[in-house]
Amino acid sequence: MEETRLVQATWDLSQCKFKISGDGMKVLLEGLREGVFRGIKCPQCGTVYVPGPTFCRKCFIDIDEVVQVSDEGEVETYTVELADVRGNPVEEPTISCMIKLDGADTWLIGVVEGIDWQKVHVGMRVKCVWKDASERTGSLSDYTRFVPIGD
Amino acid sequence: MRNVAIAGVGYTNVFVSKRKDMNAPEMIAEAVDNAFRNTNLRPEDIDAIVIGNMQTFEGVNLPHLWASEHFCGVGKPVMRVATGGTTGMSVVHAAYYHIACGLYDTVLAIGWEKQSEGDSQVGLTGIVLPEALALVPLGLDMTGKQGMVFSGGGSTGAASFQAMSYLAKSGGTIEHIDKMAALERGNAALNPYAHLKVPNCKPEDIAATPIVSYPLRFGHTCPTSDGATCMVMCSAEKAPKIADKVAWINGLANCASEPTTGNLLEGLLTDPAEQMPAKIASKKAYEMAGITDPKKEIDMAEFYDGFAHQSMMWSERLGLFDEGKAPEMLDKGVMNLDGEMPVNPSGGVLCTNAIGASAMNRVSECALQIMGLAEGGHQVPKKVRNALAHGWGGLFQYVTVTVLGDTPRKM
Ligand SMILES: [Zn+2]
Repeated sequence: MEETRLVQATWDLSQCKFKISGDGMKVLLEGLREGVFRGIKCPQCGTVYVPGPTFCRKCFIDIDEVVQVSDEGEVETYTVELADVRGNPVEEPTISCMIKLDGADTWLIGVVEGIDWQKVHVGMRVKCVWKDASERTGSLSDYTRFVPIGD
Repeated sequence: MRNVAIAGVGYTNVFVSKRKDMNAPEMIAEAVDNAFRNTNLRPEDIDAIVIGNMQTFEGVNLPHLWASEHFCGVGKPVMRVATGGTTGMSVVHAAYYHIACGLYDTVLAIGWEKQSEGDSQVGLTGIVLPEALALVPLGLDMTGKQGMVFSGGGSTGAASFQAMSYLAKSGGTIEHIDKMAALERGNAALNPYAHLKVPNCKPEDIAATPIVSYPLRFGHTCPTSDGATCMVMCSAEKAPKIADKVAWINGLANCASEPTTGNLLEGLLTDPAEQMPAKIASKKAYEMAGITDPKKEIDMAEFYDGFAHQSMMWSERLGLFDEGKAPEMLDKGVMNLDGEMPVNPSGGVLCTNAIGASAMNRVSECALQIMGLAEGGHQVPKKVRNALAHGWGGLFQYVTVTVLGDTPRKM
């Protein structure tokens, strides 16, 4: 008997109706249209979430204070994808970073470009590269990548 | 509350990539048979069964019912536990509660996985898919770089964020991860039930493997294994009837933090290398076991290390070394099989990963080390009085801890 058999099938993802009700995500997206990052701050512990939940995960109270944070921040950790899923080396490695924007307490996942991957380090300062104002639509694709700025 | 003993362990004859000669229930039965063989247990002694495997990995929804005749479960209370990577230890904890509360005397705890019959990556995708699909209408391009970054490239991709953060905090290097992996692959070669065995493995052998997701190499990652483990757990009263040698569960705890991977929806708050739940759970478990100085009183440890940097990280977060000291301890040989604090003498999850059994094997290996029954040369040379077993999983944020001893704790 063959060890592995393949059965062709499709998965209709339109049947998966996962939703975001999040007002915090709405705050983020509206900000992105204007070219800024906005989150929600907890009045009790001061934690700034980007994007914000509508309750503080530490204090377990409802929160709704909208605050703007910087579009510059620090690389907290990173990885570099040097190979594709089949293990073949890629020509242009993707540098994936966890970035803490100045003024925020949360980490945002972002691609960093414009630097040799071997020079990337934890603590590196980066800045967001925005789409042109005319192209921004209030979408997660309004910011495309981050680039290093002087330490 | 009553004390609970581990009176015996049965493993499948092997842990391998593909167990082609039997199906999942038969594989579970092999571990159960071996537990009977290794103890004086009779089928009528069994009061209840707790069993667990990873959700979705085999593509079978109710595997515990499919296999009930094969683990002596017909007509008896059966509970299935599934908590991701920690499943095997959650099963042990559930079995512990069955006995400690006084309702049952003798319980079989079974952890298993037959990864070759399903698609683990599809199972893992299900963890992040709801969030990703919810973000697609908001502009997340799943096919582009942003999407790849978001999905983290599977488990290794997400673990590499943790590895890099750990290295930056501890001052360790990628060479330390090579060394840790080599140590465990070498230990596995002495364990007849390990999957990936490399006798006398050298850091250079690991360093020669390709990078999967920097800083993690292929040699730093665990395999996918088929295998099962069955532990016989019982009350102090029953223990002498079932086995000559027993180990005692003297402390246990679990703890979760918020997810430390994904969570683009509501802002990621936690460094995946911080592992606060490991600190909280181990503190509780040590207290329960009456251990005041784990650095001195714990004789060996088995960690859930899907990735080699984690053995260093866990040894710090679980209080066996000071923060940032593990790379130095590794260099000094402290973590070796014959060192002062042997870590993963079995080779760990890094070398054998039948997921539902993985966290259980941490407990069973500690129990066998205490009983002096670890086979094939991986018994640590020193006397083991107290041992630490650790499980990890969830969205990188769920930790289980079990402290075992050669004598029962004082109530
Ligand atoms: Zn708060």
